[in-house]
Amino acid sequence: MNLAHLHLVMNHVPTVGSVVALGLLLLAFARRNEHLKHVGLEVVFLIAVLTLPVYVSGVAAHREIRDRPEVSEDVIKVHQDAALVAFTVMEFAGFVAWVALWQWRRRGRAARGLVSGATVLLVVALVTMGRAATLGGEIRHPEIRAAGAALALSAVEGAPAGDPERFMTSAIGQVAVYSYWAWPAAEAVHFLGLALSFGVLLAVNLRILGVMKQVPFADVHRLLPWGMLGFGANLITGMFFFVGQPGQYTASTPFYLKVAFLVIAGANFLYLTVFGKAWAREGNHGDGRFDASLADKAMAILSIALWLAVLYAGRMLPFLGRSF
Amino acid sequence: MLSWLESTSLALWLRESPSIWALPTVLTLHTAGMAVLVGTSWMLDLRLLGVGRHVPLSAYRWVFPTLAVGLFVNLVTGVLLFIKNPTTWGTAMPFLVKMLLVVASVATLVPVRSLVLRSDEGPDVSRNVRLLAIASILAWTGAVTAGRLLAYLVP
Repeated sequence: MNLAHLHLVMNHVPTVGSVVALGLLLLAFARRNEHLKHVGLEVVFLIAVLTLPVYVSGVAAHREIRDRPEVSEDVIKVHQDAALVAFTVMEFAGFVAWVALWQWRRRGRAARGLVSGATVLLVVALVTMGRAATLGGEIRHPEIRAAGAALALSAVEGAPAGDPERFMTSAIGQVAVYSYWAWPAAEAVHFLGLALSFGVLLAVNLRILGVMKQVPFADVHRLLPWGMLGFGANLITGMFFFVGQPGQYTASTPFYLKVAFLVIAGANFLYLTVFGKAWAREGNHGDGRFDASLADKAMAILSIALWLAVLYAGRMLPFLGRSF
Repeated sequence: MLSWLESTSLALWLRESPSIWALPTVLTLHTAGMAVLVGTSWMLDLRLLGVGRHVPLSAYRWVFPTLAVGLFVNLVTGVLLFIKNPTTWGTAMPFLVKMLLVVASVATLVPVRSLVLRSDEGPDVSRNVRLLAIASILAWTGAVTAGRLLAYLVP
């Protein structure tokens, strides 16, 4: 199985997954079932995590088929732009869903606006994802080309054919290559975000492992949004690197390792946010009686190991692969 | 002195060894050490600025051994990275700025440490300590930025 094949397998996850998550959330609203809402938000978060490898494998698939005469480069680029929009909306939906889940664990309920906000964002994600999926299907199936797709292409064709900035992804690439400051500045932010999110993860996981036992779990749990802030900065700058210079990453083994570790670490982060008796609110007496279970401690160790693996694969990109 | 350092076999090994255990591992350890050192320091700063203010300061004793581990790893790996190109780095402004900022950040930890270990502070710390926390956050931000930009500004 090559990466183009992997993309074909994985690209159904965000589209079909969004339909399932939306169904769960709408059912939860209709039945006023809080537990079902919780499940729906968890699914939204996990789909947002899984959308990353879908986007990444898509760019790799582009590299594998672009030299074939029957494939139009413009059709691929239109799909890629649509996919970047859909990816961005999906990540926002996942982020809002995460904030709602975090509040839920902290206060016993999420602000109502957040759950509705996540649902609305999910609808937008579904629409943009559906558009990206249709445009993607047309790469190898011109027979399904619809009027909407022709429009998307003609908007692009209005620009001179050689204009490197007529596609969004290409315009980002121009900034990445020709701006003197953009890349180094993004690298600096990437390292600051790394330090912030790692600090939070260290505090939270050390607490689960039994350090500062006198502190209620809820008090380290409240640090998690700071970790999410650092991660958000790194997702944005990291995507800037990848969209700006995809070639050096799609040919790099450590890059795929990094994405794989990120996906597992994302699932682990959901666990730290919502699951585990360690976080039970009624257990917060602050007298150290409430120890985390063995499973929670294993997850804490896994969390630190996974994020170190993400860091390792990232820092080793220039050495194990050839990217910078 | 700097050029002697640059001619040592250790410097040569760091510059030219194709081994994954040479420069790549030193750099990666320096990054991991940074994450531990800066991240943990920021967690303490956040508490001093009032995030989770009802958590007793004494609960933050764990940060000091953790900081010591990060600082030790980064001193060792940092010295190694310096030995690689001492003549260019020793006179490069971004490097000297970075060193100044690292020293400043670590210096803010000294009074904060005695405060935390004394542990008779209430939920709110004095204005001076809050200023120290802000100084620490800014100095680490500057140090990390200068360190990262070294790769672009100093050949």
